[in-house]
Amino acid sequence: MRDAAIPPGWDYNPAAWSQRIPIVVLAVIGFLIASYLALYQLRVFDTVWEPFFGNGSKKILNSPISHALPIPDGALGAFGYLVDAVAGIIGGKRRWKTMPWIVVFFGIAIGPLGLISVMLVVFQPVLFDAWCTLCLVTAFISVVMIGPSMDEFLASLQYMKRARNSGKSLWRTFWGYKDVVQNVN
Amino acid sequence: MGVWLIMAPHVFNYSKTMADNAHIVGPLIATCSLIATSECTRNVRLFNLPLAVWLLASPVVIGFHSDTALMNDYAVAIVIIFLLVIKPKRKHRFGGGWPAVWRSGSPHEREARQLRS
Repeated sequence: MRDAAIPPGWDYNPAAWSQRIPIVVLAVIGFLIASYLALYQLRVFDTVWEPFFGNGSKKILNSPISHALPIPDGALGAFGYLVDAVAGIIGGKRRWKTMPWIVVFFGIAIGPLGLISVMLVVFQPVLFDAWCTLCLVTAFISVVMIGPSMDEFLASLQYMKRARNSGKSLWRTFWGYKDVVQNVN
Repeated sequence: MGVWLIMAPHVFNYSKTMADNAHIVGPLIATCSLIATSECTRNVRLFNLPLAVWLLASPVVIGFHSDTALMNDYAVAIVIIFLLVIKPKRKHRFGGGWPAVWRSGSPHEREARQLRS
């Protein structure tokens, strides 16, 4: 008997917990590391752990770019990871259908966060001639989260297209109104 | 390959402009490659093609002074292009994939209609 939560045309459910939990775990780890870096930037800690690059982390974390906004970028990163973790947890295993809005939001949150991380990785040597180990770790985590999150996003987009083809309102589909969920595959 | 490109300037002692080039292209290649390890985004690896082409062109455009840097860039570019030819095997079905979001008659629509009847 075919699992009803698998989207039509697919052979697995991208919104299954086994698919989403690893991403949420990664987001939590990213959150912890980014919070640690933010606490250093806010002077709660005097030093930051840097096993490979000597002064590198201090240089990067104290740079003008990292303090360009009123909140240090470590804190912004931590907030981003928190949003990712929460958005990954909300909703049941059919959320590609019952809650397209959270799937789309999740996809948009993960993509730009990853790309900003890559941008910061580029800035390290190009602008400051220094490297920051933990910053590189969090950037790696951000990028690794992108691939596995995109399948849910794709499933929701396909579903919204089917709903629209059936004459359902895109708005009601997007927000998971029951009349659409029950009548559109 | 992307990570090697990031490290190469330190191994070979590039000048600043050449190092910057590697430090920008390297992470981009690594990112595209990482994203492409997921089957539903595997075509993101094709973004590595323009990056590899840039690696071939940049020594001329920027003006490299070091033969080692030039050979290194060319070697990386060739390896990347060669690897792009290898298509990863499909293991899953995605209802027609990303094009199915705008094209008609795709697998997910057909199967949805069958489920109804």
